[in-house]
Amino acid sequence: MTGNNLIDIALIILFLPLLGFTVTLFLAKKVKKIYLFETLIIIVAFVLSVILVFLKLNYFPNATTTSEVSWISLGSISIDLGIMVDNIAVLMIFVVSLISMLVHLFSIAYMHGDKRYNRYFAYLGIFTFSMNGIVFTHNILMMYIFWELVGLSSYLLIGFWYEKKSASDAGKKAFIVNRVGDLGFFSGILILFATYHTFTFDKIFHQISLGVIPFNSEFWLTVTGILIFCGAIGKSAQFPLHVWLPDAMEGPTPVSALIHAATMVAAGVYLVVRVFPILTSGALEFIAIIGALSAFIPATIAITQNDIKKVLAYSTVSQLGYMVMALGVGAYKFAFFHLVTHAFFKAALFLGSGSVIHAMHHEQDIRKMGGLRKKLPLTYATFLISTLAISGVPLTSGFLSKDGILAGTFAFGNLTGQWFFAFVGFLVALVTAFYMFRLVILTFHGEPRDKEKYDHAKESPFVMVMPLVVLATLSIFIWYTPNPFNPEQGAFLSKWVKAPTIVTPQDSRYSFLKSDEAQPEANVQGIQNVPTPSSTEAANSGEEITFSKTYTEAMEHAHIPAMMLSLFLAGIGILFAFLFYQWKKLDADKLAEKINPLYKLSLNKWYFDEIYDATFVALTLGISKVLAWIDANIIDGIVNGSATVTKMFSSFTGKFDNVVVDGMVNGAAYMSGFIGLMFRKLQTGKVQTYIVLVVFSLVILLFLFKSF
Amino acid sequence: MNTNSLNYLVNSLYLIKPELAISITLVLLVLVDLIFIKNKKFLPYVSLAGLVVAGYFIIEQFSTNTFAFATNNSAGMLIVDPFGNFFKLLIVFASIALVFFSLSSKEIKESFERHGEYYTLIFGMILGMMIMVSAADLIVIYVALELVSLSSYVLAGITRQSLRNSEASLKYVIYGGISSGIMLFGISIMYGITGSTNLYEINSLIQAPQIQSLTFVLAGILIFVGIGYKISAAPFHFWTPDVYEGAPLPITAYLSIASKAAGFALLIRFIKITFMQSVDAEGFWHLLGIIDWKTFIIIISILTMTLGNFAALWQSNMKRLLAYSSIAHAGYLLLGLAVMSNEGITAILIYFIVYALMNLGAFYVVMLIANKIGSEELDDYKGLGYSSPFLGASLGIFLVSLTGLPPTAGFIGKLYIFIALVDAKMIAVAVIALLNTVVSLYYYIKVLKHLYLDKSQKEVPAFSASLGSLVMVVALVAPVLIFGVYFTPLVDLAKHSITLLGF
Repeated sequence: MTGNNLIDIALIILFLPLLGFTVTLFLAKKVKKIYLFETLIIIVAFVLSVILVFLKLNYFPNATTTSEVSWISLGSISIDLGIMVDNIAVLMIFVVSLISMLVHLFSIAYMHGDKRYNRYFAYLGIFTFSMNGIVFTHNILMMYIFWELVGLSSYLLIGFWYEKKSASDAGKKAFIVNRVGDLGFFSGILILFATYHTFTFDKIFHQISLGVIPFNSEFWLTVTGILIFCGAIGKSAQFPLHVWLPDAMEGPTPVSALIHAATMVAAGVYLVVRVFPILTSGALEFIAIIGALSAFIPATIAITQNDIKKVLAYSTVSQLGYMVMALGVGAYKFAFFHLVTHAFFKAALFLGSGSVIHAMHHEQDIRKMGGLRKKLPLTYATFLISTLAISGVPLTSGFLSKDGILAGTFAFGNLTGQWFFAFVGFLVALVTAFYMFRLVILTFHGEPRDKEKYDHAKESPFVMVMPLVVLATLSIFIWYTPNPFNPEQGAFLSKWVKAPTIVTPQDSRYSFLKSDEAQPEANVQGIQNVPTPSSTEAANSGEEITFSKTYTEAMEHAHIPAMMLSLFLAGIGILFAFLFYQWKKLDADKLAEKINPLYKLSLNKWYFDEIYDATFVALTLGISKVLAWIDANIIDGIVNGSATVTKMFSSFTGKFDNVVVDGMVNGAAYMSGFIGLMFRKLQTGKVQTYIVLVVFSLVILLFLFKSF
Repeated sequence: MNTNSLNYLVNSLYLIKPELAISITLVLLVLVDLIFIKNKKFLPYVSLAGLVVAGYFIIEQFSTNTFAFATNNSAGMLIVDPFGNFFKLLIVFASIALVFFSLSSKEIKESFERHGEYYTLIFGMILGMMIMVSAADLIVIYVALELVSLSSYVLAGITRQSLRNSEASLKYVIYGGISSGIMLFGISIMYGITGSTNLYEINSLIQAPQIQSLTFVLAGILIFVGIGYKISAAPFHFWTPDVYEGAPLPITAYLSIASKAAGFALLIRFIKITFMQSVDAEGFWHLLGIIDWKTFIIIISILTMTLGNFAALWQSNMKRLLAYSSIAHAGYLLLGLAVMSNEGITAILIYFIVYALMNLGAFYVVMLIANKIGSEELDDYKGLGYSSPFLGASLGIFLVSLTGLPPTAGFIGKLYIFIALVDAKMIAVAVIALLNTVVSLYYYIKVLKHLYLDKSQKEVPAFSASLGSLVMVVALVAPVLIFGVYFTPLVDLAKHSITLLGF
């Protein structure tokens, strides 16, 4: 048992879904049951990833195993392909494989009878492959390649029902909005490559720790970090590029669960986790602000939405904003923790909504639901557990991770005096609890508002309910920590996820993230332990690398007050939800009238789409119109003008045109042909001619090369 | 003969195991043909077995770097070095492909009664080529060249099916005879001047007092004619289109790869060993100034590719089109030599692997199509992309690769040639080569247009080749695509194989 076995297993996990995709796509029309093959492949991949997680965390908890091959080597530039297996990667691959498998199973029933059934499964396969690639890559170029591949599969799946115009539009919107972010991401990659001549994370980190930074300026290091983060803004639907995610709900619901809730949108967070060591305080602050805005704005929008999936979509953006904000304030471990817990409970919520939609015959409006808990008891139970988790109620996983993030913002406020992030964090916790319970109450409680659909509703089949149960179970605290009020006691945070060694220059870090050791050399040594050649295992000399004791201690202090406050706020949020929608003590419609402008703002999603339409889209259209106008008037005008001028000299230019210009144009067109013909004429077919030509050219060559 | 030289001879036998394996297979083929006079089925399998054994011996001795048949104080007749072994391996690979081609070729199947001679002659040719790539002596070079030529004259007309077959064979004989005559003339002049036929000895003889004479230039250029005819470099290429068109398709494919590879190996060896003064640290060659080989090769290569590409524009017959395309490729390959550096040779070796794969592939698909529709005319290809989607797509990939567009292996081959040119600051030449590539795009894409965009007047029945042939096509398509993306192994192999004995 060596690290190489881990690499082997990782490679199999990576490529199995590609095999599934290829086989399924090519046999989609010929073999009706080929989707079972794809499902089987994903189940095998899941089993392997369980084995991988087990081996990695049990036998090599402190090692990072990498393996690489040279892809292109031209002169001094060498581009490597490689995979890296570390704790973060195996935990992530477990999440991806598990949810992908559950979504496959769920889809068997949910998508039953679709005319492109097999193709749907093939797309899920290519998505899983690309996502695995993002997780395992050891360099940022491959990250980008797989990044685009998940973008492609997302596009294909959002627009899966492309006959519907809204679906194909949503696919295009997702793709184009993501391009904006990826432009920044790619620029960041180019700056890194131009500076370090490598794409490999470890090598880049190593060089930064030696003090090599882009353009010799910390400002540019910050810019690079922000540019790379732009990729995350696009993919994780962060403000101001979040507009594509709610529209992406046009895709099949299991797809929303897999791609647009649990995994692909989390890839942006994963990217920031990967490049965290190179982020300067400036970049982190930018990230925190974006995260805070993305957490707050969509949360306010979610309050007034009436489409069950739209509510969940905005809540996804909001929760991703939480993670991004957590990274920005330095709560690295809790950001990743929340990524994992959120993946499970949000997948459960989406699949649950899928189950509801399935039962209601593709009705998505919660105003037409109600009372469904009697009809769909299992869906209701799992949905409720997940809602408790996302609202941060104790005994759930969400409580643990969210609490950690809030403690992080608290500590950040304590250490820097900036309380903005803590304020936003707690406010969003309140709003989240409110709108999530509004959703539960409107959907499952009360009296049915559409009697006919309600009567036909019945609990979904086993393959749909089973994933819900699994995911809801994973939203309980016990998997992560034995103490439901202290996540740090669990293996997940204490052993598996470790804070990285920051490599940025000391004076470009947050003051509290500065290295505790006096000499900066200690950091350099730490990073040198990171293996660069293939498959070395370096234990981090037994000691846990912490980027800052100060921060850890501050977080511990903030833990209890943050927990109290968040519990209180979540309670208030839930209480108000019940007051408004269950007990009807308060009238939501009247309140909406009273604060009409705010209500309108939320209902219309802060007018982002309208603003973008009025600005960027209009600008683009305007530019193209201007160009068209220039083309039609100025350029054509010039042409027409010159035609008039030409008329004046017609007798002369006519001849010139006929003889010289036409001659040149035609000549250029046919010259190649003539040369060819000429050469062909040489080929007479008569061997005696050939021999004469040989001797003739021999003489010419001799004449040319007589060297004196 | 004393015991010492006898020892040398015996030891040398160990070094020529691949050649021995080929010779023994040749004899075996004759015997098998005589014993099983009615049943010719065994012949291809005996051939394959012989080739596999030879291939094994080549890999076994791949890194050897020594003379064979050397006496105590002189350079030997043959050289065993990675460079030669690389080409031997390429020849064996092409020969294995040839056997598979022959197995599915209608033309060859129909001339059933001549299969004994067919396979025997192929092995004669293989033997000749193997000696050609390892020869260090002008006499050996000449004999090897003749062995290859004589075998290929007969092979070009082996089916005797049509007039064009015999015509091709006859033209080939006359043209080849004259060329080798010219070469022999050059060899005798060189011997007259230096008193030696061994390349290494000639090199040391002309080293000190640099010979400056028209006769020596004459000898060099005359010898080049002999080699230039083998690699179909303009203006010694005239036989190529006629013979390629007339010969049976497997033989055409084989001539365009194996015999060209052997010719290139010989040319590189001849120029590098005979005229070498020194190799500098960056791998650039400094040749003796007797003949300005660099300019010479540049002129020949530009002439070759321009002529090949422009003449190909007008071809309406697939075989003829590919014949001209193979002339153009010889031009690109010559550019690698014109750089006169180790980097250039690396590029040539990479290009040859890629070229072998894509050219074999293109010819194979053309053959499969010809088997079915009985024609190689472009006009009959109309709509084939739809009636036979797999073959159409494969042919498309091979043609795109021949053009040199990513993500196919052909792009990598051209890329390395161009990098070598740019590194040697031969920008103007690189630009000409690039423009040539643009011209070539026209006729390759023309085929695709026929396959996919043109509608056929007559109904083309949907057809597909046999499973075996499909496997063969996949075996050629897959590396063309894979090496287009992941080409490090190619580069490593090529870098390892540029070691020439002595330099």
